[in-house]
Amino acid sequence: MFLKPYFAFAKKSFLGRSAYRFDHFMSILNTCLQIFIFWGIYQALYGGRSEVDGITMTMVSTSFILSMGLKAVFYVDDYFLPSKVWDGSIANEFLRPVSFRGRMLAENIGNAIFNVIFHFLPALLISVLLIGICPPESAGMTVCFLFSTILGYGVLWTISFAVQAAAFWAINIWSLATLKDVLINIFSGTMIPLWFMPEWIYEALKITPFPYIYFTPVQIYLGQLSYTEIAQQCMLQLIWILLIYLLGTLLFKKGQKKLVVQGG
Amino acid sequence: MIIFENVSKFILNSVSIHVPQGETVGLIGASGAGKTTFLKLACGLLKPSNGRIYTMGLKPALEQKELCRGLGVLFADIPVLQKEDTVVGNFELLRSIYQINKDRFDQDYHELSDRLGFVLLSDRPVRDLSLGQRRRVEIGAALIHRPGLLLLDEPTAGLDENAKQAFYELIRERRREGLTTILTSHDMEEISKLCSRIALLDQGKHLYYGTEEQIKKRFTPMDTMQLEVEGRLPDLEDLPLVRYTVDENRLSLSYDSNCVTAAEIVKLVVQQTVIKKMKIRKPELADVIVRLKTNDKAENLSVDHEERE
Repeated sequence: MFLKPYFAFAKKSFLGRSAYRFDHFMSILNTCLQIFIFWGIYQALYGGRSEVDGITMTMVSTSFILSMGLKAVFYVDDYFLPSKVWDGSIANEFLRPVSFRGRMLAENIGNAIFNVIFHFLPALLISVLLIGICPPESAGMTVCFLFSTILGYGVLWTISFAVQAAAFWAINIWSLATLKDVLINIFSGTMIPLWFMPEWIYEALKITPFPYIYFTPVQIYLGQLSYTEIAQQCMLQLIWILLIYLLGTLLFKKGQKKLVVQGG
Repeated sequence: MIIFENVSKFILNSVSIHVPQGETVGLIGASGAGKTTFLKLACGLLKPSNGRIYTMGLKPALEQKELCRGLGVLFADIPVLQKEDTVVGNFELLRSIYQINKDRFDQDYHELSDRLGFVLLSDRPVRDLSLGQRRRVEIGAALIHRPGLLLLDEPTAGLDENAKQAFYELIRERRREGLTTILTSHDMEEISKLCSRIALLDQGKHLYYGTEEQIKKRFTPMDTMQLEVEGRLPDLEDLPLVRYTVDENRLSLSYDSNCVTAAEIVKLVVQQTVIKKMKIRKPELADVIVRLKTNDKAENLSVDHEERE
C-alpha cells in the first residue's frame, strides 16, 4: 500500500509531539492568553456597544477564537526542508522510494492532528466556557466549515512549501519566513477580522491567498455565506492551493536540479 | 549492474567502467580524485555533463525513484539518520519506507544490530551516539532493505577493528547472495580484503580497472628480494635488475616483475651459491597511491620549473 510510509511519517510526528508535554501545556496556555488579550482589546474598542457596523462582539470573539485555534492547528515547520538542504540530508531524501513533498505533508498533518486533539480542543473549550462563541449556523454549515478549514490548511501549507523551497538558493530563510508570517497574521483575519479593514483593502485582499486561510472558514461557520458563495470560496481556495503548489513545485524541482547539476 | 560510458562531471573526465552484478569494487585514488563524485553519479545525486550512466538498467538521474528501492547508499558527507529519533525508531521508519515484511525486518534488524554491535544502542537517540556508533548504525541502515547495489563512501571511517571485521564479513556474505558493492576507501588493506576488482582514479581520470594483482603489476611493478647467501656472491649481471646492493653476504635486489620473475633470479643464484635466507616483498596497494602521488608531484615540479625558465 503506497500510503503506508506516509501514515508512518504522520504517526511519527504525532508521537514525537506527545513526548514534549511541557511544551504542549505551554502552547495551550499561550493560545488561551492570546485569545483573552484580544478579547480584552475588542471589549475596550466596543466600549459597551452591542455591535459595530453590524458586527456583534460575539461574532468578533467567535472569529478570533476560531482563527487563533486554527492557527495553533495549522502550524507548519518552515525549516523542515531548509534544515535538510543546509545539512545535506536532502540528498538522502531523494534516494528514498517515497515522495519528499508527501513526507513533508504527512509529518505536518501528524502535527496538525495532534494540535487539534491536544491544543485546539482544550483551548476552544476554555475559551467557550469563559468568553463564549456563536454556535454553528447549521449542521450543513459545520460540514462546509470543516471542509473549508482543510482547504485553508492546504493554502497555508503550500505557501510555507514555496517559502521553504527558497532554501535551495538562500543560506537563511528567516526573513522570508517572517515576512510570510506577518502577512498571514495581518491579512488572514487572525488579528483583525477582515470586516474591519477599509473596503479597498478588503477588496484587494480577495485577490491574495491570505483571506482563504482562516477568514473563509470563519465566515462559513458564522453563516455569513450562502451555499453558492461557499462553493465559490472553496473553489478559490482550491485554485490558490494549486497555483501556489505549482509555484512551490517549480522552485523545488529547480532546486533539486541545481543540486544534481551543480552538486550543491 | 553499473555502466559508465565516457562520463564526465566536475573532475571526472571521460570515465568508462562496467561493474557486473555480484562484484565488490574498490574505488581508490588520492583525495580529490573523483571517487565520491563517481558514487553520486551512480545513484543519480549528480547528473553527468557528458556520457551515459546506467545503474541497474536505469538512468539514475532521471529514474531515481525506481532505482532507489534496490539501492543502499552511505556517503561520508550526507546524514542518514534522524538525530532526534532512537536507533530502532529510525529503522522502523525505514521499514515503512521500504515496506519491509515485519518478520523479515525483525530477523534482519536483530542480525545486523547484533553483528555490527549496536544492539544495546537500540533505544538511544541517534544524537547521543559517538561517531563510530553512528557509523555502525548507518551501515545497518544501508543494508536493512537488502539492496541489490550498495554504494559506500568511506564506510569504515571511525569504526573500531571489531566493527570493521563484522562489516567485511557482512559484505562477503551478501556478495555470495548477489550483492554488488562499490566502496571508496583510503585503507588499502580494507580494499585488498574486500574487493574483487579495483578502479583506480587519478585526478578524475580512470587509470585502471581490474584485479589487485594486475593493478600492482602495472603501476608498481618493482618487487624487492633480500637474499643471504653462503659462499661466494652470485654474478647477476645478465639479469635486468633495477637496483643491486651488496652488504657482506647479503644482497638486496629490486626488479621489475614484468621483465624478470623471482623464480628466474633464484634459479640463477642457486646455480652459483647457496641461499641461507630469502625474503621477497611484493608491492602493496598503498604503494600504487604513493607512486601516483610521487609522479604527480614530480610532474608538477617539472611544470613549475619549466614555467620559471
